[in-house]
Amino acid sequence: MSTRSAPDWLAALQARFGAVLRTPLDRSAGSLRADVSAYDRDALDDALDGPRRPAAERLAVYNRQYWFRLFGVMQTAFPLTARLLGHWQFNHYAARFLLAQPPHAWDLDRAPDGFEQHLDGALDAGAMSDALREASRIDAAWRRLFRAPATAPLRPTADDAARLLDARLVPSPAVAVVVERWPLLELKATLANARGESAVALPPRLADARWWALAREPGGVRHVALEAREGELLTLLGRHTVRDALARLEATCSDAERAALPANAQRWLARGIERGVWCGLTTEPDTGDDQGITQL
Amino acid sequence: MRASADRCGFRATRHGAIVAPVSEPSITANNDAPRRAPAALARDALGLGLRIAHYGYLFEHWPAVGYFEVISENFMGPALPPRQRLDAVRARYPVVLHGVGLNLLGPDPLDEAYLDALCRLADHVDAPFVTDHLCWTGARGLSHHDLLPAPYVPELVELAAERAAHVQRRLGRPFGLENLSSYVEFRRSTMTEWEFYTSVVRTAGCSFMLDVNNIYVSSQNHGFDPLDYLRAIDFSRVLQVHIAGHTREPDGTLVDTHDHPVVDAVWALYAAAWRMGGPFPTLLEWDERIPPMPDALAELAKARAVRP
Ligand SMILES: [Fe+2]
Repeated sequence: MSTRSAPDWLAALQARFGAVLRTPLDRSAGSLRADVSAYDRDALDDALDGPRRPAAERLAVYNRQYWFRLFGVMQTAFPLTARLLGHWQFNHYAARFLLAQPPHAWDLDRAPDGFEQHLDGALDAGAMSDALREASRIDAAWRRLFRAPATAPLRPTADDAARLLDARLVPSPAVAVVVERWPLLELKATLANARGESAVALPPRLADARWWALAREPGGVRHVALEAREGELLTLLGRHTVRDALARLEATCSDAERAALPANAQRWLARGIERGVWCGLTTEPDTGDDQGITQL
Repeated sequence: MRASADRCGFRATRHGAIVAPVSEPSITANNDAPRRAPAALARDALGLGLRIAHYGYLFEHWPAVGYFEVISENFMGPALPPRQRLDAVRARYPVVLHGVGLNLLGPDPLDEAYLDALCRLADHVDAPFVTDHLCWTGARGLSHHDLLPAPYVPELVELAAERAAHVQRRLGRPFGLENLSSYVEFRRSTMTEWEFYTSVVRTAGCSFMLDVNNIYVSSQNHGFDPLDYLRAIDFSRVLQVHIAGHTREPDGTLVDTHDHPVVDAVWALYAAAWRMGGPFPTLLEWDERIPPMPDALAELAKARAVRP
């Protein structure tokens, strides 16, 4: 264990420097500029003027780098959301998020964690906002798929089958269930091959919501279309025992759907297992930590 | 250097390839790879910083490259796809680790959980050496994700050296510290950068990860002779030399963007370093506007041509 502590003066200097880094960039001129007038006087005093630039302009290099790097990471993590908003507007939301939740992990990839929740609260009401919320959740689901560890799919034993009804199926982190009311997955695929920063048009709303299971595979992410009730069931199964999930689903069904539910549920559960939607069976209550099933 | 490559390109617009892209190329191609390439590097080896942009070409052609350097943090998490790609690369090439998150000069103690993960990764790829930067990257629980300079004072030599020695002990393999590109100097400094750097490495008993582009960038930004810097280096302790491109801003400030070919002045500095202390493994970093892999390898091959 390394025991020596950093001197207090270093911590103070670094706190001042950190505040310079996080100073918001000025958007008022239509481009992102460092606002050196906002830097702390003591931070300026820490730095020397250079042969080409005064101290404030030297610190501004770091201030810009901090924001542009994080904007790039945010755009990469939320590509669909970023293009629906356009990068300029997306950066505005990203900056507010990052000021509220500055990165704290050594893993830069974690800096965007929670942005979809932040955006949910930051957007107003309206169809465009709803589409952006949906887009951000799809982007977040996609990120989770790529960050998931190696996961063995559930292969139920005879014992498992016996206790299935009163157990909870543990969602695989390598599978996400998403619903879309706009054809956003198609748009996401199109944008993956189209560079650009400007806002793209939101495609027309779908007549009916579409449910998908997104499954990470060696070659990429496979989209598996789900029936709507199947998607709802998979989502409920992430939070409840099989018995409770089925009861909750049944409560929302029409008479005809209710009559067909036993056979359908059997079929959906069987193919969920076949597709590796779950990685375990537990009697522990849901802690809300499951990374797998995305509730939209 | 530049912080992360795939993860950060350290320049104003650094990207974030750290994040797995939406559709990474899959690993295809011939399955005639050896079970695992030897770990050791030739002393004059030429290597390339591994970037996601290269995967498509790499996994199809497996070109001749002396070794790859990967950004440690991109592979330290539990995510499966990066690890699968790393294993495919490691099967055919030696891999060295280059970190951007050690935070050697931060105010907080070193993160032992981070070191645990780094050690596991180094063992996994059997890295001939591991490097990170003589810098701080965060403070008081916040991570700034940049390679930030500190004042050059003897008190911090002791701090950095004790921590670097600890890292090397934990790794159980050679650990090298890289010199930064910097854009600011502190009023508090009482030593030159090279006095500080060489003192830390000597006191710690670790090694240099010498970036000649960074020496050049800082020399232009702060007004020193880059040869003075090189003359201070004990080349018997140099694990690796980085070369890279940079950007010149209108007022002459150089920014370590890794988005251009290596400039002539940096090649000249590289040749001078080789004269003083070659051979050493040489690695090209390219993090933004990444060219097709054959072009990056052609740029890397120039190193052989400029050696005296
Ligand atoms: Fe470097």
